[in-house]
Amino acid sequence: MTSLYALPLNVIIVLTAAIFVGYCWFGCIFLRPFLRIFVKGRGNSNDVVGHVLSCFGVFYGLLLGLIAVASFQNLSKVEDNVAREVASLDALYQDVGTYPAPHGQNLQWLLREYCRFVFKYGWEQYASGEIPEGERTRIEAFHERLLAFNPETETQKIVHAETIRQFNVFLENHRVRENAITTGIPSVMWYVVLVGAVLNIALIWLFDMKFITQLFLGGILSFFLGLMIMLIGVMDRPFQGDVSVSSQPFEILYWTKMRDT
Amino acid sequence: MASSPTTSELAADPSRISRRRFVGGMAASVLGASGCSRTTKAVEPINVGILHSQTGTMAISETSLRDMELFAIDEINAAGGVLSRPIKPVVKNPKSRFDDLFPRRARQLLDEEDVVAVFGCWTSASRKAVKPIFEEYDRLLFYPVQYEGNECSPNIVYTGTVPNQQVFPALDWLRSLSGGAKRRFFLVGTDYVFPWTLSHLITNHFKATYPDTEIVGKSYCPFGEKDFERVVTQIGESEADVVINMINGDSNLYFYTELARQGITSDDVPVLATSIGEDELRGLLPELVEGHLAAANYFQSVEREGNHDFIERFRREHGEDRVISDPMEAAYVSVYLWKAAVELAGSTDTEAVRKALGTQIQIDAPGGRVHVDKRNQHLAKRCRVGKIRSDRQFDIVYEAPRILTPDPFPQTSFPGWRCDWTNDGLVEGDPVRIEP
Repeated sequence: MTSLYALPLNVIIVLTAAIFVGYCWFGCIFLRPFLRIFVKGRGNSNDVVGHVLSCFGVFYGLLLGLIAVASFQNLSKVEDNVAREVASLDALYQDVGTYPAPHGQNLQWLLREYCRFVFKYGWEQYASGEIPEGERTRIEAFHERLLAFNPETETQKIVHAETIRQFNVFLENHRVRENAITTGIPSVMWYVVLVGAVLNIALIWLFDMKFITQLFLGGILSFFLGLMIMLIGVMDRPFQGDVSVSSQPFEILYWTKMRDT
Repeated sequence: MASSPTTSELAADPSRISRRRFVGGMAASVLGASGCSRTTKAVEPINVGILHSQTGTMAISETSLRDMELFAIDEINAAGGVLSRPIKPVVKNPKSRFDDLFPRRARQLLDEEDVVAVFGCWTSASRKAVKPIFEEYDRLLFYPVQYEGNECSPNIVYTGTVPNQQVFPALDWLRSLSGGAKRRFFLVGTDYVFPWTLSHLITNHFKATYPDTEIVGKSYCPFGEKDFERVVTQIGESEADVVINMINGDSNLYFYTELARQGITSDDVPVLATSIGEDELRGLLPELVEGHLAAANYFQSVEREGNHDFIERFRREHGEDRVISDPMEAAYVSVYLWKAAVELAGSTDTEAVRKALGTQIQIDAPGGRVHVDKRNQHLAKRCRVGKIRSDRQFDIVYEAPRILTPDPFPQTSFPGWRCDWTNDGLVEGDPVRIEP
């Protein structure tokens, strides 16, 4: 599944179309003559198949639509969370910058290295569905050094308490993003979607019409079904493939703010 | 809905596509497409390990080595990789736990991650803990930090230095007029193998070359020590001319703070550090350390064109305020040295790489040209002594006139011992007892 996300979007579209339309046409050519035995000799066979297909299509369409919306919402949610994590990282970076030397600089360097790691190495690992060990290590290193600071003045105590609070906000956002790396539609749902698609297309084979018309109409319907399922698929993993959350917020923060501080 | 035509009707109409014609057409298309398609074979990356503490007491020093090794790998990958294959770094964090996590992570790298070589370790304790594992798996460890010598393994490439390339020339300089003709030395270090052995070596070096030198005191502290009040009081009472500092990690902050608190300045008693560079100085307030000394082979302030480019490239990537220290440069050189050896060998096989390293490969390192001594897999390097400035950089106050050949077993301390992999291998002399 992961290797599918490595393919460019246009290749995935062509592949999906080829599989779905190919499956439909395969059935039209090889299975249709046998399946038509069930409805042969009935004048209104197309009406019966049509009714079944409409009824089935309503439920299946609803299912597909809801899943597609849920996938899109999940993708947007992850995008929002990345923005929130970057915002909390930025705030934390500002907070530790007020620490006395050399603690402030050391803490800022650790955060900077975390940010750089996320877009330079981390994102690449998310794309293969892995949670990078390096992120956790860098956060641990920062946490360790933050707690090693002993505030001496009242101002330092207030700033330190606020920084620890800010660190917890950042950590929370980071955890949510980390969970999103492996998030996805449960496999049982994928089975329902795929079995539904197979049945939907199989119903088309039962129609009694001209061969070329059946190929054409069946092909269109299969193509659209494939497109819908592909849409869900590409949005299903927020960090994988062409339709995924970008690391740009981290990059912008690093290059415009952190690197030259 | 109109009823569908019969099979005979379909067959009779020449404008209609028959099933047979359609299948034939599709088959031809698929065959045509498959004939035109080309399969692309992904290039398999070469896995290398990075084994440095990123948390714990050694994080302050080792994290920068990780950054530098990743930086060198990125540069090599951007230039096309090694043997036209990209390098994939596998980074492990042994958390400054030398005895248990270092060996465990090393085994993980060699066994589970199947890395062909590892760049790692800082302390001798960690290196000694992983050495048998590298020998068991017959893979190479590139160790980028100056160390005490008294070791020679065919599975370790020592890209730092040994005392005859770093500490002895610095001691000789301190004894000379230009170095202040110091005579009374106080040794302070972390309580582990590097300071113990170095202490033993320094004592014997003075006995052999400057018998009138006095070691007026020795003190060892545990890793992560924060309380140096007693030690600094001892230094003050000993009336030492100079202190040799062999403390590792973030304890240095507390040591220099205590020196300043007790009013011992670099003008009264300069401290010559063996494990402090620009990277460690960022954790120290300049007013605490200004005027003190450090012995190393590389300082960021070395005036070389290659060095300026190197600093600029690193800073462009990591930030304008990042600094580069001696072990960082050695870590960078380690990766390029491994690359050069692999390319010369045409393989990542340990034996082939070892043979290639034995051909005295030369690297134009940022700090100057270095080469591998084929006898013991250590690097031949130059020694420098730097004086700490207020901007946390060094003024180079002494530079050895020539590149120094590494000698892991100085005969003044290890009589009869020698290491020569081109000849007899490791020859053991009289047993030497090193005590803290």
